[in-house]
Amino acid sequence: MLIILIIVVVIFLVLILMYNSLISKKNQVQNIFASVDAILKKRYNLIPNLVASVQEYMKHEKSILEDITKLRAEANKPNISDEQKINLDYKVSSALHSIMVAVENYPNLKANENVMYLQRSLNEIEEQISAARRAYNQAVTDYNNATEMFPTNFMASFMRYNPKKVFEIQDNERKNVNVKDLFEK
Amino acid sequence: MEYFFLLIDLMIFSFFQNNLSWLLFINIAAGSFVYKFLIKDYSQEFKDKVISPLVSEIDKNLIYKKDVHVEEFKFINSRLFPEIPDKLEGNDYISGIIDNVKIELSDLHAKKKHTNSHGKDNWSTIFQGLFIVSQFNKNFSGSTVVLPDIAQNSFGNLIGSWLQSHNSNRGELIKMDSPEFEKEFVVYGNNQIEARYILTNSLMQKLLEFKKKSRHNLYVSFVFNHIYIAIDYGRDLFEPSVFKALLEYKVAIEYIKTLHLAIGVVEELKLNKKLWSKL
Repeated sequence: MLIILIIVVVIFLVLILMYNSLISKKNQVQNIFASVDAILKKRYNLIPNLVASVQEYMKHEKSILEDITKLRAEANKPNISDEQKINLDYKVSSALHSIMVAVENYPNLKANENVMYLQRSLNEIEEQISAARRAYNQAVTDYNNATEMFPTNFMASFMRYNPKKVFEIQDNERKNVNVKDLFEK
Repeated sequence: MEYFFLLIDLMIFSFFQNNLSWLLFINIAAGSFVYKFLIKDYSQEFKDKVISPLVSEIDKNLIYKKDVHVEEFKFINSRLFPEIPDKLEGNDYISGIIDNVKIELSDLHAKKKHTNSHGKDNWSTIFQGLFIVSQFNKNFSGSTVVLPDIAQNSFGNLIGSWLQSHNSNRGELIKMDSPEFEKEFVVYGNNQIEARYILTNSLMQKLLEFKKKSRHNLYVSFVFNHIYIAIDYGRDLFEPSVFKALLEYKVAIEYIKTLHLAIGVVEELKLNKKLWSKL
């Protein structure tokens, strides 16, 4: 009788541990996503300023500037899902990248103090976003492992936890930003 | 000179009425005294004449002081070694400003005192090796500590990582996304994002190279806008002796190489400073 009781208690304890570890992994993902979101917002807030400073000069790149303004408006909408945020982030990153490349063609812009400051700020935020993405990906990997690996996968399917999507780290992010390219041309 | 010693020996020999053991005793005593005197002089002179100019050759802004070491509070602030030392010794201090980045380093030997049941003191070593402090280019509020991955290397991946995640007095375990880096180091910190903000892929690469080149255990921490690097040599890095002149020449070269490495890392960080400068 006692043995059965002990077995039941042990099984119960294991279930509690599995349940709690899944919850904590899910919360970790949520926490880190909240930080990712906060840093992404910081970058979105720089966009109007950037557009205002460069649009006078950039006649040929009008479409990119319009695109990025639209993307920002979309990102600021309430109730968009995490996946949508991740997708928007890709688009904004590549649009910003094209703007920064285009700035190189305008000597007046490159020398503009405001633009230089914005470039620095964007680079700094880019670093923070990159760090936040890496942290998020690690948290999601831990969470996904738990939802797919034995024995926590049973508990996860019972709790209806599904694997989540990670940020894809783009190749140009892996490279170091070259200081010379930015300032000394 | 030899005739002079021989003459003294003869005098002693006759004075103690041909007692050989007395002669031997006095000679050994005198010999060890002369050796100590010589080596002290030799090592001091070597430092003044060889190391000091070599250091200023690396960079003119660097100052070398042979009898000073990095202050104790900096050693404690680094959070690299949780034990607070009872005694901190060191020498060969170098400091300077390289391109607006302040750097200082020295040999350090941190010891802990243990008193046993008989009231006898024993000293154990917390750390002995080269200790480097420098300003860091990025702004951050928390602390991130990079330690040699001893648990995972000695207990394997599964038990090792379980042990690492339960080292609660170090803070949260932070798993990095570079497998090579994870193999050599374990990272603890109080902020998952900040740790990755500091440890970019390129910095992780730098630390791996540093570790490979120095071939000793490497401890690195980032606390309040400072980087602390401790290289565990397990001995006083640079103390020359009369009998090993050639060997010590090698040691001097190794010492300078290490300096180059350390300054190289700081210069690397400084390079980014313009880009990520405080906003």
